[in-house]
Amino acid sequence: MDNVENFVSLHNTKISKLIKKKKRFYFNVKNDDVIEIADYLFNKIGCRLSTATAQETYNGIEVLYHFSHDESGEYFCPRVIITDKKNPEMNSITPIVKGAEWIEREMYDLWGIKFIGHPRLELLLTKDNPAGINQPLRFRRES
Amino acid sequence: MSKNIIPVGPFHPLLEEAEYFTLKVDGEKVTGIDLDIGWMHRGHEFISETKTFTQSIYLVERICGICSTSHPLACVHAIEDIDNIDIPLRARYIRTLIGELERIHSHLLWIGLAGHFIGYDTLWMWAWKYREPVLQMFEIISGNRNHYGMMRVGGVAKDVDPSSIPKLYNILDDIAVKMDMIANAANDDPVLRSRLVGVGVLSYEEAVRFCAVGPTSRASGITADVRKDDPGDAYDLVEFNTIVMKNGDVYDKLVVRVLETLESIKIVRQCLDKLKNINGPILNDVKEISPGEGIGRYEAPRGEVFHYIRSDGTNRPVRHKVRAPSYVNIPTFEASCIGIPIADALITLAAVDPCYCCTERSIKVVDSARQPTKIDLLKISREKTDYLRRQINGN
Repeated sequence: MDNVENFVSLHNTKISKLIKKKKRFYFNVKNDDVIEIADYLFNKIGCRLSTATAQETYNGIEVLYHFSHDESGEYFCPRVIITDKKNPEMNSITPIVKGAEWIEREMYDLWGIKFIGHPRLELLLTKDNPAGINQPLRFRRES
Repeated sequence: MSKNIIPVGPFHPLLEEAEYFTLKVDGEKVTGIDLDIGWMHRGHEFISETKTFTQSIYLVERICGICSTSHPLACVHAIEDIDNIDIPLRARYIRTLIGELERIHSHLLWIGLAGHFIGYDTLWMWAWKYREPVLQMFEIISGNRNHYGMMRVGGVAKDVDPSSIPKLYNILDDIAVKMDMIANAANDDPVLRSRLVGVGVLSYEEAVRFCAVGPTSRASGITADVRKDDPGDAYDLVEFNTIVMKNGDVYDKLVVRVLETLESIKIVRQCLDKLKNINGPILNDVKEISPGEGIGRYEAPRGEVFHYIRSDGTNRPVRHKVRAPSYVNIPTFEASCIGIPIADALITLAAVDPCYCCTERSIKVVDSARQPTKIDLLKISREKTDYLRRQINGN
């Protein structure tokens, strides 16, 4: 677990709510720090971005990135919680990790999260929908 | 500067799947590519949240007809990761056996398709002919030639009948002979070499940048293989080599797949050896899944399949994320297709073994109170045509 301990000691002030499991490491980061964390994981220790998962909860919209450290088989999962559900926005990591381009476009498409700094924030899957963007995976209690 | 545009799609005549690539060309040379997906509406991620954990495994089996054990395997890994559930030794070998047989038939399918793409139909017919015995092995083991229904949380659903093992050995021996022949042919064949060497190169740096996985990345020199890096099932108990090449062209992707098939035959043989001697249960009884989150992955024939499942303690997942390997491999076309002739673009587009029904698993139809009828679909189709016509005419 050297990688995880190094990571925690270097970013102690920026991460919270650590969950350590066997080869899986989940933690919360603030929106302002996500680019720095992604830069460290991707460029410094050579992680590969597997994908990202968005989920709407009653507290907000969570975006959970999954960085795989292939040498050790560990997963680093930084979680950003967006509390503004009406106008969800967060920083994009695509300028650092090119592999995040499609998944961030998909989250914009299906969840309506605007990724600030994304080089091409267009709908990925439902762009030909005549009804326009309708965020199909969001809660629809009001309707 | 790009002068012309060549559309490939929306329905690919050879891959027989819906995708749309816009090749920007200057003379014979491809100068840019625009990738357009989203032609299949399937809603797996949403449907999974309405099913129980056991039903979800059957659902994800239907994501892809070729990787029809990779998705359930990654899914059960994710559920088992929530509670650190152990599985019996015999079940570990059976899972590995099924997974590796799937790799053999998937790689043979791609080798055949690659031959068909470059107009080398002899290779296509041979490869698909020798794929048939693998499907027979599946039928002997699980009763099905496809969608095997073997995976369960805590083990496997069906045991391998000990009396069928000699027959499996016989079929495997035949496959091994034929695969050696294909491997030698791929190595010696001047047609394949002249057509594929140096075509559609994906450099190591680009493969890292695009986070490519599977044979696509291993042909470019990346050593990542989930079976070695994060071994589940019996992968830490069997011996095999990770095949890595360094040129990143289509030929290296072919060689990686051919040699991986030989490694898979080795693994299948080791699993059968063990299944002859190991007796015991094949399924641990799992009563309930605790609240929590789990990540499961498996090295599918095309690369890492990733499943993330979150449980709230009920018998259904509250979130089930699926990421197929083609989802990260298809964007590498932006690197590998630029600067090559149009004639090489098609085989380069097929070289990552793209699977669009895996890639586009997540779309959900909103506000659909009832199943659409034929008349509804016709109406939607006409509305869409009108919409596209208005867009083209600019009003």
